[in-house]
Amino acid sequence: MKKIEAMIQPHKLDEVKDALIKIGVDGMTAMEVRGHGRQKGHTEVYRGHEYKIDLLPKVKLEIFAPSARVEQIVEVLSGAAKSGKIGDGKIFISSIEDAVRIRNGERGETVL
Amino acid sequence: MESKLTFSQKLERLRLRMREPEWRKYGRILFTGKLTGAALILLLAVVMHPEMIGFASHAADPVLKGNDIVNPLNTVWTLLAAFLVFGMQVGFTMLEAGFCRSRETVNVLMECVVDTCLCGLLFYAWGFAFMFSHGNGFIGLNWFFLKGAPATYESTGVAILAYWLFQFAFADTCSTITSGAMIGRTAWIGDLLYSFGVSGFIYPIIGHWAWGPDGFLAAMGSAGNFLPWVGTSFHDFAGSTVVHSIGGFIALAGSLVLGPRLGRKFKRDGGGPMMPHDLTIACSGGLILWFGWYGFNPGSTLSAMDFEGIGRVAANTTLAACAGGLVAMIVAWGLSKKWDMSFTVNGFLAGLVAITCPCYWVSPTGAIALGAVAGVIVVYGVELLEYLRIDDPIGAVPVHGMCGIWGTWSLGLFATGQYGATGPFGADASAPLKGLFYGGGTQVLVAQIIGNGIVVISTFAVAMVLMWLVNSMGLLRLSAEHEAYGLDLYEHGISAYPEYVISALGRPGGMGIESAIAPAAAKSVGHMGVGESARS
Repeated sequence: MKKIEAMIQPHKLDEVKDALIKIGVDGMTAMEVRGHGRQKGHTEVYRGHEYKIDLLPKVKLEIFAPSARVEQIVEVLSGAAKSGKIGDGKIFISSIEDAVRIRNGERGETVL
Repeated sequence: MESKLTFSQKLERLRLRMREPEWRKYGRILFTGKLTGAALILLLAVVMHPEMIGFASHAADPVLKGNDIVNPLNTVWTLLAAFLVFGMQVGFTMLEAGFCRSRETVNVLMECVVDTCLCGLLFYAWGFAFMFSHGNGFIGLNWFFLKGAPATYESTGVAILAYWLFQFAFADTCSTITSGAMIGRTAWIGDLLYSFGVSGFIYPIIGHWAWGPDGFLAAMGSAGNFLPWVGTSFHDFAGSTVVHSIGGFIALAGSLVLGPRLGRKFKRDGGGPMMPHDLTIACSGGLILWFGWYGFNPGSTLSAMDFEGIGRVAANTTLAACAGGLVAMIVAWGLSKKWDMSFTVNGFLAGLVAITCPCYWVSPTGAIALGAVAGVIVVYGVELLEYLRIDDPIGAVPVHGMCGIWGTWSLGLFATGQYGATGPFGADASAPLKGLFYGGGTQVLVAQIIGNGIVVISTFAVAMVLMWLVNSMGLLRLSAEHEAYGLDLYEHGISAYPEYVISALGRPGGMGIESAIAPAAAKSVGHMGVGESARS
């Protein structure tokens, strides 16, 4: 069981979501977050005064999936989120020890 | 006990004290106080007993003639209406801001404000001249920069600058309507350019045809004019065609040339309208527009003396809005099984747009009927645009364009045959308008359809050319990259709600809260970048 965390551009959310639903990803959590990677944001001007927007709006997707499906999900996800420009985002994958369904106490991959 | 001082001792003490700044200050305060008191007493005396100092109590009572009272009264009424119509800008700003996404809100606010400023100067320079001065049937050719204009406008007896203000408020309304369908993707320079075209040329010139003193539609039906066989001239009391159809169809042209906002998916492609960001603001804005309409329609009598007309117009305006709102709510329920707030607001606005042309000539019952039809039109109009894949974020085209057409036509159906024209001394019912439903035949209806058709087709054609020109210079539409980054941030440098976000987004450089309160604390969060922005 793996956790896939993807930081993507907010305006790509619908495309990514649709692509994932199409390959049968049933559950996901999306969060509106702010952050920056290597690029470190932009400078803007308000009333002639420069200020920095260093934490840009992003969407963070969290998907828990059986290990066997991870490659396919990552491929589809990055395909849909990609524009080829700086700021497209990143995907992080980590292992998950266990999962519990609160309603009936089920454990393991069947929960997904 | 203090012994009594002689006068010379007191003077000596005063002289000493005046050397000390503290005492000098007391002295100044005391002196100012006494002076103020004396002035007040004097003023009171003058006001209560002017004879005391020789002013006459009153100017000699002049002998007033009719016009001495009528023209000021009509001017005050027109100005009051002008102020109300100007107030509609607040309504438009709120309605448009509420129905758009938060990421394009600053742009909407700027557009509404700058449109107003631009329109005012253009209407002073040549807009008013094109529209309301004498010239030929197509364009007015006098009074540029208001030079050579008479003291009062034509037969209305309204002071010319009061009339100018009233008409400027109308022109401003038209140009703001246009922006509604173009929200979220129009580049700022393009915005200025097309606004210049709309406020400076399209609205005043086409408006002249229907509202100018010698416009060819205004005199269409009489012998020796454009279409004498119709037998009736084109009528548009407060602007269903002139303001709303023109605004709505320029909006349609703009929306077509621009294309939809990035990421906008239409219903038939499995999407739907983009979510509005503040329905409270949108709804309040709609109601302020309704309020402003009490200047728009009743004020268009330009005459307080036609008091029955004002009352009728105000009541008709209200009833059409009520009917439009309720019917739109019910029709929308039929489509979605939800009591839709957005459709209800657009519904009463549709009723208001529709009643704008016929408000003077119809009965309250007629107003309800035609407002109700507008409520149906607006819902299906929104659905039609969705089907045609036209992105109109606030529904400017269905509300103002389509219901503007319906309202203009509806005069030909619902005119009761009791009312003719308004005038500076009261109503003039010598040439009443009678619509189809009241046994007047199709004469008025034909005149309305021809007049409105000419205006709509010309407006749409010219607006397409204008938008296409601006677009071909590459100035109309924001680049995809900048649209994705954010219209507000790219063009205006800030988002509408900078304090609601968790980053340093809303803080100008050098004004970091952390660094102002506790510099050490700011350093500790420096790794998040907040500290950097505070120093920049």
